[in-house]
Amino acid sequence: MGEPAIAVRGLRKSFGPKEAVAGIDLEIAAGSFAGLVGPNGAGKTTSLSMMTGLLRPDGGQVLINRLDVWADPPAAKAVIGVVPAEARLFERLSGEELLEYAGRLRGLPVGEARSRAAQLLGVLDLTADAKRLVADYSTGMRKKATLGCALIHNPSVLFLDEPLEGVDPVSADVIRRLLTRFVGSGSTVLFSSHVMELVEQVCDHVSIINKGRIVATGTTEQVRGGKTLQQAFIDLVGSRADGGEGLSWLGSSSS
Amino acid sequence: MARLFVQLKLRLLRNGLRSSTQAQVAFIISTIFAALVAVGTFAGLAALRGNSASVDLTTVVFTVFAFGWLILPLLAFGLDGTLDPATLALYPLRTRPLAVGLLAASATGAWPLANLVGLLGVTIGLARGGFGLFIALLAVLLEVLFCITLARFVTAGLAGLLRSRRGKDFAAFLIIPIFAVYEVFTQVVPKLTAEGKLTPASFAGADVWMRWLPPGLAAHAIQDASNGHPGTALLQLTLLAAVIVVLGRLWIGSLSRGLVTVDTTTQSSTVRGAALPFGRYGLRGTVAARSWIYQRREPSSIIYWCITAVVMIAVSISTILTPRYLSGLLGSAALGAALIAVLHSDSIGMSGPSFGLEAMALSGRRALRAYFSGQNIALGMIAVPLLTLISFGLAAVAKHPVDGFLGMAVELAGIGAALALGSVFTVTAPYPVEKRVGSPTPRPVDGYMGYRLAGTFGSLFGTVVAVIPVVLAAVFTRSDPAVVRMPVLVLCAAGYGIALAWIGVRVAGGVAEQKLPDLYQIAVRSEL
Repeated sequence: MGEPAIAVRGLRKSFGPKEAVAGIDLEIAAGSFAGLVGPNGAGKTTSLSMMTGLLRPDGGQVLINRLDVWADPPAAKAVIGVVPAEARLFERLSGEELLEYAGRLRGLPVGEARSRAAQLLGVLDLTADAKRLVADYSTGMRKKATLGCALIHNPSVLFLDEPLEGVDPVSADVIRRLLTRFVGSGSTVLFSSHVMELVEQVCDHVSIINKGRIVATGTTEQVRGGKTLQQAFIDLVGSRADGGEGLSWLGSSSS
Repeated sequence: MARLFVQLKLRLLRNGLRSSTQAQVAFIISTIFAALVAVGTFAGLAALRGNSASVDLTTVVFTVFAFGWLILPLLAFGLDGTLDPATLALYPLRTRPLAVGLLAASATGAWPLANLVGLLGVTIGLARGGFGLFIALLAVLLEVLFCITLARFVTAGLAGLLRSRRGKDFAAFLIIPIFAVYEVFTQVVPKLTAEGKLTPASFAGADVWMRWLPPGLAAHAIQDASNGHPGTALLQLTLLAAVIVVLGRLWIGSLSRGLVTVDTTTQSSTVRGAALPFGRYGLRGTVAARSWIYQRREPSSIIYWCITAVVMIAVSISTILTPRYLSGLLGSAALGAALIAVLHSDSIGMSGPSFGLEAMALSGRRALRAYFSGQNIALGMIAVPLLTLISFGLAAVAKHPVDGFLGMAVELAGIGAALALGSVFTVTAPYPVEKRVGSPTPRPVDGYMGYRLAGTFGSLFGTVVAVIPVVLAAVFTRSDPAVVRMPVLVLCAAGYGIALAWIGVRVAGGVAEQKLPDLYQIAVRSEL
């Protein structure tokens, strides 16, 4: 493995008595398409927030391209893009204005910001809606607009939290193709997801997080261990319910 | 169903109390206020015994209470959590029992009880004899029922309206006339009372038309029953009951529609213009551009400016035509500026999760200073002309148009102080906000009311203190020729205001650099 684009060491975070992230270690090589999977409440979003400088950790270190996120936030933030789980944007800007704003915040000159915004809107199939207010965008359009904002400054590492949650298949395909192209150019993607089929399909590196700890990490093949990723995941995390055996009253044949 | 909803309301109240110390303190304060309102109203109504205008005043009090029920949930408290039809739409509930349940839940709590107890003051103040007392009890019960049904009808109607983005925008503006009437009751009426221009006798005959409103029917029923007209009294209460039934039916209809109305937010409009204005002026210009667009397109921003204008006019209206007009003029300018500080003292919480886009890109003290400075430029572009216009307008009404410059001087210093305090409070005492169904204005998330109070009173007090030197300069130089002192005063006040705003930006930038992740965590908790 070459120089890691993302290196996480002993990352910890507690909320009161609850330990959300219990000291995780992770290394993602540059040019990887990496997935972070885990059940609900496993610590995926908390971990990604700490890795991107949006949530102060209780301990540990995060290096992006050897830049310490918490020692030098401006330098680290300059090389990353983030797509949060909930696409909350500036609702009263049009899609076009939003992307230009994101570019200008990242220090792009006016002309460059406008030009990249127009190109991204085109690739993301949003040109026809460029002048509509973001408040009127559908879930898929919001996700695509958020992705545009995260990519406009050409980051070398992109973090995405549940990027395809609630997105229709057509928009999902647009996003997937754009990310694949992004990784193909040598950039790195780390995204969290519940959808094992998607992770298995696009990721070359997978980490499984459960109860705030990384329980498996490696190439997708290594983590699968000859099984489907779904089965490997359930084997590692464990089935959490008894399948409803106690609910004798449930079902059409019951009285 | 009624019992279930009352239990739900009580459980929500209990759980809210367990959530944090601030929630407990807020509940205790609210309960104390409710008790004071109950005792005060009861004593006030009881004291009307023997007063010639007692029925007129009772009519006014009953009408004011109904008005309060109508607007207070919109202004301050949001919609009761048990009353949001959207949370109940999934359950197989028939509309009629659902409405009864929701009505019972509305009647549960300290404020409805305070309302009931307070209005019972009419049993002493207005009622005479056994039948009069009986009708008084019945009238108060019907009045409270009317208030609750009216409030539910309006909020359920608004909840339907609020399902579309355009509807939300439109409904938000309804608050402006409501706020204007509210200001008349809270600012103008107490002032006129203190000055002796408003006495109980002023209300004699006030109920010529008000008596035919539902609250008036309740008050007059008590008087008629006490004066030996039982038939008229019963007829009026029957009419009131009929109004409640009609209102209830309308509410149930609105509720039924609310449970199945689709979201129409995708019926959208497009914006003109290809790009951000003044985007070419660096980061400061970019942020100013975004803030400028928000001041024009975001209904709550427009509402805040309208509220500022209404308050400025309301506080000065009773003095502006008197020899003490200058105090009204300067006070209005200072208060207008202070309101800008109050309404923008949580700009990050108000930005909500979209602040994440900025938090990811802005790093370092310099960038954060440019961020706050950009926001201030956008606010100043509206605040300065708006407040100046109002100051000169008031000065013209007072027939001393040149003194508009004095108001302008105070307001320029005040706006600078307000921008400084707004920037500082937004980074030192930020809080997440939420918009509830039926309420166009965001309110602090449970447990953060203390932060809002700190921001509000800190901003008000700080702005007023900051403008004192300019007010003193304006007053002490009154004997000098206007042509000499006015330009100097205005220029010095503007310089002072700019210096204050500059200091605010520097402080806020420094604090924000240290707290950026914490500020983001606050913003991301906002639900707008």
